[in-house]
Amino acid sequence: MTLKKWLLVLALLAPGLGLIVGLIGVAVYIAVAQSFGYYNLSGESGFSLDFWSDMLARKVFNRAVVYSIYVGVISSVLAVMLAYPLAIWLRKPFPGSLTIGAILKAPLLVHGLVAAFLFINVIAYHGILNQFMQGLGIWDAPKRLQNDRAAIGVIILQVWKQMPFALLLLTGAVQSISDDVLNAARDLGAGGFARFRKVIAPLTVSAMQAALIIIFIGALADFSFQVIAGPTNRQSLSQLMVFFKSGGRWNDAAVVGVSLMIIAILGSGLLAAVTRMTMRGRLA
Amino acid sequence: MGGISARNLRMEFDGFVAVRDVSFEVASGEFVTLLGPSGCGKTTLLKMISGFLTPTAGDILLAGRDVTRTPPEKRDTALCFQSYALFPHLTVMENLEFGLRQKRVAAADRKERLDAVIGNLDLSLHLSKLPNQLSGGQQQRVALGRALVMRPSVILFDEPLSNLDAKLRDQVRIEIRRIQRDFGLTAIYVTHDQAEALAMSDRVFVMNGGRIEQSDTPEDLYGAPKTSFVADFIGNANVLDAEVKSVNGAGIVELSTPIGLLRAACSGRPQGSKIRICWRPEHANLAATGENRLSARVTHRAFQGHFTDLHLNEGGADYRVQTNMPGIREGDTIAFSLRPDQIVLLETVA
Repeated sequence: MTLKKWLLVLALLAPGLGLIVGLIGVAVYIAVAQSFGYYNLSGESGFSLDFWSDMLARKVFNRAVVYSIYVGVISSVLAVMLAYPLAIWLRKPFPGSLTIGAILKAPLLVHGLVAAFLFINVIAYHGILNQFMQGLGIWDAPKRLQNDRAAIGVIILQVWKQMPFALLLLTGAVQSISDDVLNAARDLGAGGFARFRKVIAPLTVSAMQAALIIIFIGALADFSFQVIAGPTNRQSLSQLMVFFKSGGRWNDAAVVGVSLMIIAILGSGLLAAVTRMTMRGRLA
Repeated sequence: MGGISARNLRMEFDGFVAVRDVSFEVASGEFVTLLGPSGCGKTTLLKMISGFLTPTAGDILLAGRDVTRTPPEKRDTALCFQSYALFPHLTVMENLEFGLRQKRVAAADRKERLDAVIGNLDLSLHLSKLPNQLSGGQQQRVALGRALVMRPSVILFDEPLSNLDAKLRDQVRIEIRRIQRDFGLTAIYVTHDQAEALAMSDRVFVMNGGRIEQSDTPEDLYGAPKTSFVADFIGNANVLDAEVKSVNGAGIVELSTPIGLLRAACSGRPQGSKIRICWRPEHANLAATGENRLSARVTHRAFQGHFTDLHLNEGGADYRVQTNMPGIREGDTIAFSLRPDQIVLLETVA
């Protein structure tokens, strides 16, 4: 391409992609620079590794890293695991399938905060679930379900919110597999699970990777579900970042923010690689 | 190996009857073709035999065992799909051994079966390729190989040559028949191409409207069709309405037709007085030396290489004859004769 054409392409991309790259680029630059001591709003600015070394030595930070990875991985894997059978079920249209598909995708339209508050109402100490279980005689007394230590509430909310997105990606991929290919596998002796393992999953691996990565990043950086329904004895990385920022410790917040970005990139790469390797093992 | 037996098979889809009370027997090692126009029920019948459709009524027996409700993965059949249906993410070798691994065939046996098929189908140079790196003919051979390594009792073909060009189709057709014979397989082959059906089959089942209209050897089907549909569908035929005038003791029936009085050979007495008859265009003898001498004006002429197709009109009826005399032109009046044994009596007309 000539220089003129390159300039034309760049000019065309500038209003959309250019703005995004520009804004994200500035934010990333500021965050990285602050994590190394620059743009210090409460002290002297200058290159320093102190913020990183202090943060890495903090127990609360390391717990937040483990906790966020735990929520991110479990939520993404569960959402994809739930979305697959639904995508296969909805692969062929049947009476009512459009309505079912629309209902399943409805959580995409509900704001996370609204969902979190609804969920809290359901599992609260005097909430519907406790009343229901007591009414059935299964529980003698109400149980404390809110803000559980294993973050099951957060994971439920993440899966509820993110599964439709995985479904959206996987439905298209599953629909693109021809009937003949699936019938051929069946004709050659493959049962339902073998067809999934050896044909459907390998042929939809790209959609699976995309769903896992996008959901992982979203859940890893979750703030609203964690604040409302998460455990009170540990913080997610985004919660920790907001905590530092609220205290005016911008450089510490930047270290957490950059850590979050690094974990998101490495985690996504790892998830993609693991998925690909698992599928490769299933091919033969 | 085993044969196939179908008893009163019926398939309905929301009130639409796709297959109507079909019964047939296919002997072990026999090559049978289901032939018919689009929508006649041939693929539905094949899907019932392969297990992808469960019949609304009737039974299917493979090697004497009732498999009517047995799912495809548990049937001893292998299906070659029209689209080949190769697994696009697997190499040729992985495609070939897919079924063997599913059935947990021992490694030594697997190798022996694969070697035999790879050698037979000349696939050794392509084993590490993906399907999208193969030509149509090569893909077809892989699909065939994938079915053959399973050593099924019955192999089923769903229009496997329809995506190939004419020359390749001829080659693969011969190859399929050779392999079917070599492996002693019972084969059911679906096609709407009558030339393919006649060239390949031990027997042909001609289907129409969900029924088997006639099942016969290719020679009998062509030489002695039982209905005007079969006569018209298999090759070219001149089908005419006729009225029976008389039947003599020598098995000759005298018929009044729109093109004149004809004498036809008949083994028994026709079922009714109004019937349909047919004769093949190539049976017209333009030397006009025998019985049933007729003359007609040529309305259209089409040179076909080794013969010339002549469209004729006489008494308001259009029909055609074939000749190897290319000198005849449109507008000419020609004379020809027909042997009584070449005129076939078909169904009665209500």
